[in-house]
Amino acid sequence: MKPTALIFFPAFDWAISPTHPEREERLLYTRDQIFEEGIMDLPQIREYKPRMAAYKDIARVHFCVPDIDAQITEAHLVSAGSALVIADAVMTGEVANGFALVRPPGHHAMTVAHGNRGFCNINNEAIMVEYLRKKYGLRKIAIVDTDVHHGDGTQEIFWHDPDILFISFHQDGRTLYPGTGFIEELGGPLAHGSTINVPLPPRTTDVGIHYVLDNLVLPILAEFKPELVVNSAGQDNHYSDPLANMCFSAQGYAVLNSKLAPDVAVLEGGYSVETALPYVNLGIIMAMAGIDYSNLREPDYSPTQFKESPRNMEYIKELVNTQLANFRGREEVIKANRLKYPGDYTYYKKIFYDTDGIHEEQSTQLHMCEHCAGYRVSKSTAQHPRWGLNRVLCVSVPTYGCPECQAQAQRIYAEKCKEVRNFNYVYLQDRVSDVYRCTDTALSLETVL
Amino acid sequence: MLIGIDVGGTFTDGVIFDGKTVTAVVKHPTNNLDLKNTLLQVLDELLAEVNPKDIHRIVLSTTLVTNMLATGNVERTALLLMPGPGLPLDTYRIFDDTYLLKGSIDFRGRKTEALDRKEIEKAVSQIQVQGIRKIAVVGKFSNRNSEYEKEVQKIILDLFPAMEISIGSETAGQLNFLRRIVTTYYSVMTQSVWESFIIEIEKALQAREIAAEVAVLKADGGTMPLRLSRYKPCETVFSGPAASTMGAVALVMKPRNTVVLDIGGTTSDISLLIDGHPLYASKGARIGGHYTHINAFSVRSLPLGGDSPILINNGEICVETKRLGSAACFGGDQPTVTDVYNHKYMLGIGQQSESSASLTGLIQGSELDIERLCTGVETIVLERLQAAIEQMLQEWENEPAYRVWEVVHGRKFDVQEIIGIGAASPAIVPHLAQRMQVECTIPAYASVANALGACVARPTLSLKLHIDTQSGYYVLDQDGRKGSLPAGRNLQMQDARELALQNLAEIAKLRGMDEYSADAEFYLEEQFNVIRGWDTVGKIFDIGIQIAPGFIKEYQGVSR
Repeated sequence: MKPTALIFFPAFDWAISPTHPEREERLLYTRDQIFEEGIMDLPQIREYKPRMAAYKDIARVHFCVPDIDAQITEAHLVSAGSALVIADAVMTGEVANGFALVRPPGHHAMTVAHGNRGFCNINNEAIMVEYLRKKYGLRKIAIVDTDVHHGDGTQEIFWHDPDILFISFHQDGRTLYPGTGFIEELGGPLAHGSTINVPLPPRTTDVGIHYVLDNLVLPILAEFKPELVVNSAGQDNHYSDPLANMCFSAQGYAVLNSKLAPDVAVLEGGYSVETALPYVNLGIIMAMAGIDYSNLREPDYSPTQFKESPRNMEYIKELVNTQLANFRGREEVIKANRLKYPGDYTYYKKIFYDTDGIHEEQSTQLHMCEHCAGYRVSKSTAQHPRWGLNRVLCVSVPTYGCPECQAQAQRIYAEKCKEVRNFNYVYLQDRVSDVYRCTDTALSLETVL
Repeated sequence: MLIGIDVGGTFTDGVIFDGKTVTAVVKHPTNNLDLKNTLLQVLDELLAEVNPKDIHRIVLSTTLVTNMLATGNVERTALLLMPGPGLPLDTYRIFDDTYLLKGSIDFRGRKTEALDRKEIEKAVSQIQVQGIRKIAVVGKFSNRNSEYEKEVQKIILDLFPAMEISIGSETAGQLNFLRRIVTTYYSVMTQSVWESFIIEIEKALQAREIAAEVAVLKADGGTMPLRLSRYKPCETVFSGPAASTMGAVALVMKPRNTVVLDIGGTTSDISLLIDGHPLYASKGARIGGHYTHINAFSVRSLPLGGDSPILINNGEICVETKRLGSAACFGGDQPTVTDVYNHKYMLGIGQQSESSASLTGLIQGSELDIERLCTGVETIVLERLQAAIEQMLQEWENEPAYRVWEVVHGRKFDVQEIIGIGAASPAIVPHLAQRMQVECTIPAYASVANALGACVARPTLSLKLHIDTQSGYYVLDQDGRKGSLPAGRNLQMQDARELALQNLAEIAKLRGMDEYSADAEFYLEEQFNVIRGWDTVGKIFDIGIQIAPGFIKEYQGVSR
């Protein structure tokens, strides 16, 4: 049997701030646990060295305002790059699967990045997904977000992409950051049903989450037939997490990963640094490497500690049925949407960046293309506490976009670059040609990646 | 005067070094069934050249422990393990006579499950009944809290005072339970044989009226006093390659990125020097397929040497890996790699004409001419060596990194020089260096570099200090040392460094190496704030400090 790739990158020299949950200490005890266990010596594990992601890998996903340098630190490049190393190891067949046990996390980072949201600047999984598509020609990929917080960044990035199945189960957004991830959020008009949210009531246990896995996630994956499955592996559903209120255990996480069998797992949140992370991380590693995890448990764990209430189970069952129907009916809805929104589809939204205190307003116009996922034009205005007001225009061509959409997007970019009064920066994300342009309109200065 | 003796698998080498030059060299085949006598034979021949009173230091490097472990000719030993939660329990049943006990400790040193005295007594009785007299007691995270190990040790000794026991926290205090199990097991297993060896050597030296300081070489290229080595027999494994590498460093003494190539009759050993410092194996020495906590140089062995036989198989040139005998020029039956170089470059080794004759005999009946045969063999030899070197460099460059800084700065090993030692090096290494376009040095005394390396190597000491101010303790990974911290004291990095230095100085004194304490250098400094809620409730420090491999103060290089 092929080994499991592992990158352990605790970023012992990086923190958001000294007392922030995203601090040096976060993976310290996980380090102790996996090194004491001798995980890296096992024949089932192959340890890899992290590398830095290229700016182009980031530009394939994000419009960083005003530029990539403003949004990242070296730690972000290493974290994203580690996911790419694991992806390469899996794709070349050197390993059966792989786990990027890295920080900083990324699943709250959206397409347009004005700053840090929910501890994230750039989206590690999204960067990996677009890299896999560009480098290996993959098309259909599923991302299962097992973090307790809704993966709103990943959802937003692939909102219009029918080839990326995004499933997130999380603590109900009415009770937890970021306050989204409701049943009705099902994807854009041409990608309806490829976003599936499972908002769970606080204190949901292993039983509830495994019910969702067995009766919703796994059946949907079987029907969607992705070429690759990614686990956006947050660990804050754990009963001891200080920022959330769920009752998941290390055993629960291990079982989940055995059943889900992700090709790649990337660490996201999880801030119970002593009582959860050492055990949950070990559980994920063991499950992915096919190592028996029956001897794994938290010191204070007892199997009878948490009980799923019948009322909760009732709710979860109904939720699962609703989402199964939404997924299975997706093509009908897309067909209807084409008639409902001929030409273009426009929507508005406001985004708050909790970590950096930025307010962003955004309007997006999607071209309802008959041949591809359609190009998009977003106008975004953000008030940054330090840099002031930024007004940008972002033009994006989907990875498998058609020649007409590509040509039209290029035309719009060229025109808008002249609108000095309306925009500080105009961007073109041409994923078909893998070329990424940015024009500083005041200076008429273009940078190309 | 210094004496260095390296008892190797095939040959035993000895030198006398007067501080400037090598004044005597002895080489003997090794009798693996009687290492002590081989060693004393070489010693006696060396003593014939010098007045025993003038000798002030003797360093020995021997394969005794390596051989014991490789042949399995050892005493039956039991393992009492406290694995606690984590990997499946089967993982720890590596050796026979393994007993798993309750009782677990977590990463902060907290007890998370109690010991079961009845269970321990039952296991120990079973062990005793089977006639086993040696027990290794090892717990997961015992390096953070050794109380359980000590309690088990006490219970055993109360029942059976004659039982020989080693505990993990005192034998191998680094993180990694599996390696701690293996290291502790092998240590207690080999200890008594090693002890009697020491006693015999001490007696022999006394009989020869030698009052010199006697030390043994460790796998990490440093020495330890012979009398103190009784507690750490396993550290003497793989001291042979360490001796060669230290010899190469001693003979060249340049702070460069260097490949040390030791080409003997059967094998080629490759080691690397980074800015002149030997590179360690990242996972410790490997014994019997198991990783250990024994610090050892990173050495790659290739089954390729001067005596590797040459064959022509269906018109194809082959360099075989198994030695059949010596080269034709030394009276062997079959042409070997040495014969090829001897003929091609007219090196005049042994009977050069025999080299040529054997090669001429080999090509008979094939379409090859002798020139093409020689070129073909040389290409195979150089390609194999170069590939092995490059793979080793690449593995070093790809070693995992855990900090942003390390990944951003990367690591690149640009080879500046190859140092060739060992009997077959002078013929082969210059051509390899030319092919790789790097400089080449074949130092004088290259054939006894190992023995020279042993006699001038200084003692080494490496320790890691783990401080947990919230829990109020510190632990060291050496000898089970630990201590408590006064409550409420706000430790700074400077204090942590001083505590490490102070402990290093104490251990150095106990080991008779305090003159090197001033050379200690910090190789790891990590500091973590322990935050609960939004408050800092403590700090955790990991400090690494070492007296790295080097040379005794009087050694200033060799003059020819």
